[in-house]
Amino acid sequence: MPQSTPTATTLLEAAVKYLETELMPTLDGYYRFQTRVTVNVLNTVRRELELRSAQAQAEHARLVAILGHDGEVEALSVELAERIRAGAISIDDPALRAHVRQSLADALAINNPKWLTR
Amino acid sequence: MSSEDFAARLQAAIARHVGAPGTIHDLQRLTGGANKTTWSFDADVAGQREQFILQLASPRANDESNPLAGVSPHLIAEEDARLMIAAVKAGVPAPRVRAILKGDEGLGAGYVTERVAGETLATKILREERFASARATMAKQCGTILAAIHRIPVAEVPFLMKLTPAEHIAAQRRIIEFYGFHSPALELGLKWAEQHAPRNTRHTVVHGDFRAGNFIVGENGIRCVLDWEIGQSGDPMQDLGWVCVKTWRFGGKKPVGGFGTREDLFEAYEKASGQVVDPAHVRFWEAYGSVRWGIGCFSMGTRGTEEVGIERCAIGRRVEEPLWDFFNLIEGRD
Repeated sequence: MPQSTPTATTLLEAAVKYLETELMPTLDGYYRFQTRVTVNVLNTVRRELELRSAQAQAEHARLVAILGHDGEVEALSVELAERIRAGAISIDDPALRAHVRQSLADALAINNPKWLTR
Repeated sequence: MSSEDFAARLQAAIARHVGAPGTIHDLQRLTGGANKTTWSFDADVAGQREQFILQLASPRANDESNPLAGVSPHLIAEEDARLMIAAVKAGVPAPRVRAILKGDEGLGAGYVTERVAGETLATKILREERFASARATMAKQCGTILAAIHRIPVAEVPFLMKLTPAEHIAAQRRIIEFYGFHSPALELGLKWAEQHAPRNTRHTVVHGDFRAGNFIVGENGIRCVLDWEIGQSGDPMQDLGWVCVKTWRFGGKKPVGGFGTREDLFEAYEKASGQVVDPAHVRFWEAYGSVRWGIGCFSMGTRGTEEVGIERCAIGRRVEEPLWDFFNLIEGRD
């Protein structure tokens, strides 16, 4: 099925532009703050649409390498969390540290890219 | 309840507990949190107009059906007020309690304190020129104030939940299990905390949420320390670490609340308490505090949109910020 146009990313950009440039200047106090949060949330959704698919592929490859078997990325991540909890993998393991660090950087690239450079 | 009824009940409560006639002026709702609502008002008391704050517990704040009730510290309104009274007695700049509501005032559980003028917004305190000399002194003030908090006799506040560092971590583990989180980063953080938890620590009153954002600041520095509702007793170094957590620097560059240095904080604390501060011990609480705040973000973002609205949902997406800071701390990259 061909992708509908405008793309989801374009729709989100248009919504953000309206909220930021037309609506926000008319608001103050509580409503201005809530609209600011709404703009941030829509930008997060846009970055997730743009970035997550490639991130998930790389995450999958890292998880398969650490755990030694294949599976869905979410299930593998749950399994890794359980292994850490059970003490079955050392928290000083370099591959584990690198994986968790990269996963956090990926999530921040979506949720709040500015935090990475603070 | 209509706003006229509310003001009338408040006037009766002020007349009864503080002084007649208790006529209310400028009643304004300041915040409505999940656990409490805060009101500002003036009242005529014995021929003078005085400034007050009213805190009311939300009906569900101490809901016994909450499966996590009792897992981590949370004071009911009367205990919160009694802790602030003990703090003032020990020389801490805490809100002065003028009335503890008994329940028969028709307002619910809560208390009335004197209102202290000043700024609480950390971003303003960090940026505005008028707070420049306040910023220069606040890390030292934090040390002196924390020493006073840690001197409050535990026997005066026997209702505080007692938590060793290991018990503190175990409580966070139960919260994660309740929500069913499966995050490798959180598990790594909690495992690190379990392995590095300090042992044989002192046991004192702990504020629990001593940080920028919970201070009323004037041009000369901290005037009042707010938000005592997660007061507890345990390792006092917890408070020194929490005030350094990067989230509470609000974009400021300096480690103590964005405004000061650890050296100033520790030196003032040592001078006022007579206790030696081990920077590595404080660092544990800063690192573990980051993990704990990550769990806090996770919990807030999980409670459902009908209950919390967009702001809380957005906080759920902030979970990686403190976990990233945690990693930088334990790997020496901060």
